[in-house]
Amino acid sequence: MKALVYLVIKTLKNLVRGIFRKPSALIGFIVVFAFVSLLIWTNHVNPANIKGASSELFTGIVMTYFLFLYTMSLNSGLEKGSTYFRMADVNLVFTAPIKPGNILMYAFIRQTGGILTMLYFTLCLTPVLRENFALQPYGIWMIFASVTAFSLSYPLINMLLYSWVSKDNKRKKVGKYVLYVLWGSTLAIFLLDLARTRNIGASLGNVFDNPIAKYFPVIGWTGSIASAAVYGITTEVYVGTAGMVLLILGIPMTLFRLNLDFYEDVLEGTEYLEAVVKAKRTGNTMAFYAKNKGRSGNSISGKGARAILTKQFLEYKRTSFFFLFDVTTVIIIISSIVYRLISSNRNMSPDGTMFSILCFAIYMLFISQGYGRLNIEMEKPFIYLIPASASKKLFYATMPEHIKNLFDGMLLFALAGILFKAGLLTVLACIMAYVVLGSVFVYTSILARRIFGSIQSRFLLLIVKLIFYVIFLSPGIFAAAFAGAFTGNWFLGVLMMGGWSLIFALIFFAFSSGILNNIEARE
Amino acid sequence: MQREISMLKVNNLTKRYKQVLAANNVSFEVCPGEIAVLLGPNGAGKSTTIKSIAGLLRFDGTITIGGKDNKSVEAKRIFGYVPETPALYETLTVWEHIEFIARAYNLENWGETARALLVRFEMDDKKDKLGKELSKGMQQKVSLICALMIKPAMIMFDEPMIGLDPKAIKELKDIFLELKNSGCAVLISTHIIDSIEGFWDKVLIMNKGEIAAVLTRDELMARGESLEDIFFSVTGREETSQ
Repeated sequence: MKALVYLVIKTLKNLVRGIFRKPSALIGFIVVFAFVSLLIWTNHVNPANIKGASSELFTGIVMTYFLFLYTMSLNSGLEKGSTYFRMADVNLVFTAPIKPGNILMYAFIRQTGGILTMLYFTLCLTPVLRENFALQPYGIWMIFASVTAFSLSYPLINMLLYSWVSKDNKRKKVGKYVLYVLWGSTLAIFLLDLARTRNIGASLGNVFDNPIAKYFPVIGWTGSIASAAVYGITTEVYVGTAGMVLLILGIPMTLFRLNLDFYEDVLEGTEYLEAVVKAKRTGNTMAFYAKNKGRSGNSISGKGARAILTKQFLEYKRTSFFFLFDVTTVIIIISSIVYRLISSNRNMSPDGTMFSILCFAIYMLFISQGYGRLNIEMEKPFIYLIPASASKKLFYATMPEHIKNLFDGMLLFALAGILFKAGLLTVLACIMAYVVLGSVFVYTSILARRIFGSIQSRFLLLIVKLIFYVIFLSPGIFAAAFAGAFTGNWFLGVLMMGGWSLIFALIFFAFSSGILNNIEARE
Repeated sequence: MQREISMLKVNNLTKRYKQVLAANNVSFEVCPGEIAVLLGPNGAGKSTTIKSIAGLLRFDGTITIGGKDNKSVEAKRIFGYVPETPALYETLTVWEHIEFIARAYNLENWGETARALLVRFEMDDKKDKLGKELSKGMQQKVSLICALMIKPAMIMFDEPMIGLDPKAIKELKDIFLELKNSGCAVLISTHIIDSIEGFWDKVLIMNKGEIAAVLTRDELMARGESLEDIFFSVTGREETSQ
């Protein structure tokens, strides 16, 4: 165990040293630290200005959230297993004369890094939660406890599950069927209730805020711990906490006492994780998840730089569910609509509502975008070799992103327009503003890369981009919001935001096109 | 000739990945001071065999190292493993990797050995570099150093030459012979026939998960054929390779 303690301490020390060595990383961490401190301080000092969303809705949302997280991780765990480990552990720790039980303990300690990341994102949501729900004084801590329980439990469950399914392919099918039944029955119950209530929020509460859901193993237990944030400490919380503690302590003890051979069970998951990390670092996640959907109907047309455009559409076909409809579309649409449903200000005009959805959708687009697809192109030599001007190549290489944003924007704002009874012109203005701001994001990323070089940390890239937006975009957005609120004409506000952003999209495009002049410009 | 007690004994190793039989009743032995080579085309089952011996996979059959079950702590104390793809801790320096291994294997007075290995692989000026700052070849050298640090009684190399520079390949070949002379049992997996010319004692040709042929150097000499000819006649891939 001494060797593993050495490993953990050295890793932590070097991590801290690394931050102090790199000014860009240090700035990023100072910003994060200041942000976290500000959030904690605000939570502590400011009394919550509760707008009265129901506790049932809160429970419904957290239960849905944990249902999604657990079942998605189980789904991937059935295929690949799960892991707390990296390949360095496999090669150096698994082959060393160290007891497997000690290695599991070490894995738990390592996992705390993952917990901190999840807690950080949860902390970012606390202002919205405090604003909308009547939280208990210790409410935030209960939410943190549930997130911690999730982070610790899901790799263990996957590890145990994979050791069972890996012995027989039929078991995997059984596991998948159980998940499908769980998803299908939950959706059916929800839709039946929705048909009765005609209110998404009320139905979420009806389906998930009941004893069956709250005592449901693992998902219900975790959700119950979180729902203590609004209901206080109830019997369900005691049961949920006891269940999760037993699970988190019980699985490692079982693995340890039975001396189960878990190395192989984590090996495939570790290799997969390693490949995912590599793909993320190179901004290549879409290609990583691409599936060969056959050759029929797939072709690359266009000549010169236009071929980049059609090639990228072919790649989209292989990574999306249908045409340009993919995971990003689902996330942006669902999160934006849910945001509006739980939002505090319910008396806004339809145009004002659309403006708030637009702002949230743009925020989601901002945090979900890395360098974009151009990054994948720049890792390969082809784009530099194509005989066309750099600006033409940049135009065609980034065009699919704008068309994708147009597609997502049309779906989102058409749906939102119908739901919130907004006018056609407002819907069109929102779509346009969404596309234009998306293009600003794309070209800012490229410009940031041209100026600062390839920034591997996605978080640091976000910080750099954020600084750009604060300097260049925020005046236009604030002016648009002010104009909308002051005149009551939100259509004007959306138009102002779009117009201002378009100017900067064009300027950033002009400054970033040189990145395709030669391979050195990308470094 | 008196038969030596085997350091590594693989008996009826069978490993199946879902529908694929990656290793089928593989049996062989490697004695102290012997260099055995697992030779085979891609997908023959070499890495699966090595990973099973290293204790990373579940399998049917038995594997003993120094008479102990290969997954026991006692066996792990005496074998070294150099994986095909090096993977280091990104935030640990080269020296800290070595120190970790020294602690994990309870090594004593290891500093001199570590320094000598670093000089030998021209890594002494990089001992304070982090894992993530090293090239793939340098990472491979650190993997080699970590495996050699424990002064193993049995050592396995999975495609060890890939990614190394010519000087490191030469050093590695010298090390194979030094290990052999010190009585270490050496098992090397490779698909590049030329890379093992000159120092092997026994070749185990694998094909489709099975040991298709076992040859000692004396047997090869007696047959008057080249190792390459035998390899292609056993695996039947000459046409493909040409």
